[in-house]
Amino acid sequence: MKTKATPQTTQDLLAIFNDFFGDDLHSAEVVNPSEIHLLVDETMFYEGAAFIHSNLLFKSTFITLVATDERRLNNQFNLHGVFLLKAQKVVVTLITGLDGENPSYKALTPLIPAAEWLERELHDLFGIEAEGVDLKPLVLHRGWPKAHPYVMHKDVAKDTPIELTDTDHEFGFTSPASAHQVAVGPIHAGIIEPGHLRFCVTGERIHHFDAQLFYTHKGIEKMAEGKTIYEGLTLAEHVCGLCAFSHSLAYSQAVESLCQITPSERTQAIRRLLLEMERLANHFADLTAICSAGGFGFASARAAYFRESIMQLNKHLTGHRFLRDFNTLGGLKSDLQAATLDMAFETLDKLKSPYRQWVEMLYNKDSFLDRVEGAGLLGKQQALDLGIVGPSARGSGVVEDLRHDYPQGMGQPNYPTFSVPSQTDGDVRARMQVRIDEVYESLMLIRQTLSTMAQDGVDPAAPTKPLKPNPETPGIGLVESAKGGLLHWLVLEASAPVPTINRWHVRSASYMNWRGMAAATMGNNIVPDGPLVNKSFNLCYACSDR
Amino acid sequence: MYSILKSWLTAGRLTVPASELALSEATVVRLEQLEALSKSYRKALSRSVMIRHLDAGSCNAEEAELLALANPVYDMSRFGLEITASPRHADILTVSGPVALQLLPAIKQTYDAMPEPKLVVAVGDGACYGTPYDTTYACLGPIDKFLPVSVYIGGDPPSPSDILAGLIECQKQLSSLN
Repeated sequence: MKTKATPQTTQDLLAIFNDFFGDDLHSAEVVNPSEIHLLVDETMFYEGAAFIHSNLLFKSTFITLVATDERRLNNQFNLHGVFLLKAQKVVVTLITGLDGENPSYKALTPLIPAAEWLERELHDLFGIEAEGVDLKPLVLHRGWPKAHPYVMHKDVAKDTPIELTDTDHEFGFTSPASAHQVAVGPIHAGIIEPGHLRFCVTGERIHHFDAQLFYTHKGIEKMAEGKTIYEGLTLAEHVCGLCAFSHSLAYSQAVESLCQITPSERTQAIRRLLLEMERLANHFADLTAICSAGGFGFASARAAYFRESIMQLNKHLTGHRFLRDFNTLGGLKSDLQAATLDMAFETLDKLKSPYRQWVEMLYNKDSFLDRVEGAGLLGKQQALDLGIVGPSARGSGVVEDLRHDYPQGMGQPNYPTFSVPSQTDGDVRARMQVRIDEVYESLMLIRQTLSTMAQDGVDPAAPTKPLKPNPETPGIGLVESAKGGLLHWLVLEASAPVPTINRWHVRSASYMNWRGMAAATMGNNIVPDGPLVNKSFNLCYACSDR
Repeated sequence: MYSILKSWLTAGRLTVPASELALSEATVVRLEQLEALSKSYRKALSRSVMIRHLDAGSCNAEEAELLALANPVYDMSRFGLEITASPRHADILTVSGPVALQLLPAIKQTYDAMPEPKLVVAVGDGACYGTPYDTTYACLGPIDKFLPVSVYIGGDPPSPSDILAGLIECQKQLSSLN
């Protein structure tokens, strides 16, 4: 039997796409060593996505759908479908123009279920119609006026006032008369963010679960339009507090790739280090939450202490507990002194043995294991279909990690080797175990980074050199945050003295994982497991709502 | 399990002493708000209080720091400060983040559900000044446009010790007015 050779280079890929699209391919270009843009006819958008998504030679992951309003230029909306080809480590963007009056296209959701939220969001904010999918409102709540403006259109002012008329919640299911509904939120009992969750139950058993999110929708993407790239960086760090550094890194990578800046080796190393520090802080917070939802108070308090030591170390390293205001475009705001790094090394080293004891304690506690084992099942196929990312995907046997699959996304093609921990059970314990193992990997990566730190300074390249953005080309930053892969997608506009933002799109890890959490909650659980399953995903509302 | 208990029992004190909780410069207590309360209300609020937190549209950093108040390092309950699950039991409402449009009805309902006496404490730059966010169709600015705020604990986000020191300062002011 003859097998086809896996295409390796971008040139191989261009040949394949030329072959597939034929005359419908308006242009194909390699914009960056590892990014391909394909401009296709509207009729070929669905077919193209199907070809990329289902071709086994590519090992493709669907990343996002972004629209831009180009009506002033050529009376059309541009739609960009972004895919990561893991086999070639290449990002392919499929671009098509949609009619400016009645924008519509054939929905991708039936083919790629992960696209559902994005297509509903496009309808809410842009008025773009995806044909073949239920476009019930996602971002906009029921109280929005019937004839509301499409807020992401360029001709709609940023602060257009919106009068809410009705504040009820509408849900995608009807419960049988005998079923009871448990409504939670939007203001929760604990200190967590707002969202309305509804469990449909008979006795203890959960039949159905649905969530009304986007309460904290602030229109950050619209807010950023017209701001300078530096103001944009501040906003990027404020999309989400917990993953502030990952967002900062993804944003700066998007700008750096557009402006053709290569940060110094030392900058790269410190960024790697801080990314792992953020991961440690988040994983300890998640483990705290899982233990507390599982009723193991002692373990929870200890994990909270681990987290606090990382936060204090972050403050010592960068002057900020959440690592904000340290990274900048093309470099870092200040360097880390050798003595500070030594101290970090020591603190983390001291953490290792109590942490190992702590893990041992968890696994010796049968009553705790009884809670986490078998709860909140998420199957591998489900995780793949819904496009789940991060530890939640790895707990279900989907071995994906952007640091491994596409380190170019954070501007570091030569990322050090590490093992990607994964589990196959898909339950709360599996997701917890992935985080436990990743803590060891992070400690290893930090140790390795510290021992091979380059000495070439961290001065940002940007303020001294003029930036050369290419207005038509979007820049991409893809970073593996603690909660999973996140994307910043950016189009700039050349203006003096620094470029401004034309369109900015953020697709966070939590945005993709919410539907996975809902699916896992519905998987034969009882009501008290609801919070436990929720905490095993530990999703962020802020970066999903934006 | 025994070895872990032993090592932690001998680890010594983790908690920050109250004397080391310094008031941050970004904290502002609006005395006129406290003076407007009756004497008995001030007395009630200067003792052990129940706190309800309300995220009005924050970036989640303030929530993380408020959660840290319960960890062994800050241990807020030693000052008689407790988080309560319902606004019906709360004396103090801590608010974080700029006000998000779709949350406004819930924000008003939460405040109305609180019995008198009650105080609002804005935590973080988002709630205090609306920064770094601009107002948009869905982002309506700082919380004091909608609720009467007595204490502003600024910061991006304020650290757990800033928050704790701010809450304690508010109580000190209340008792000194009596």
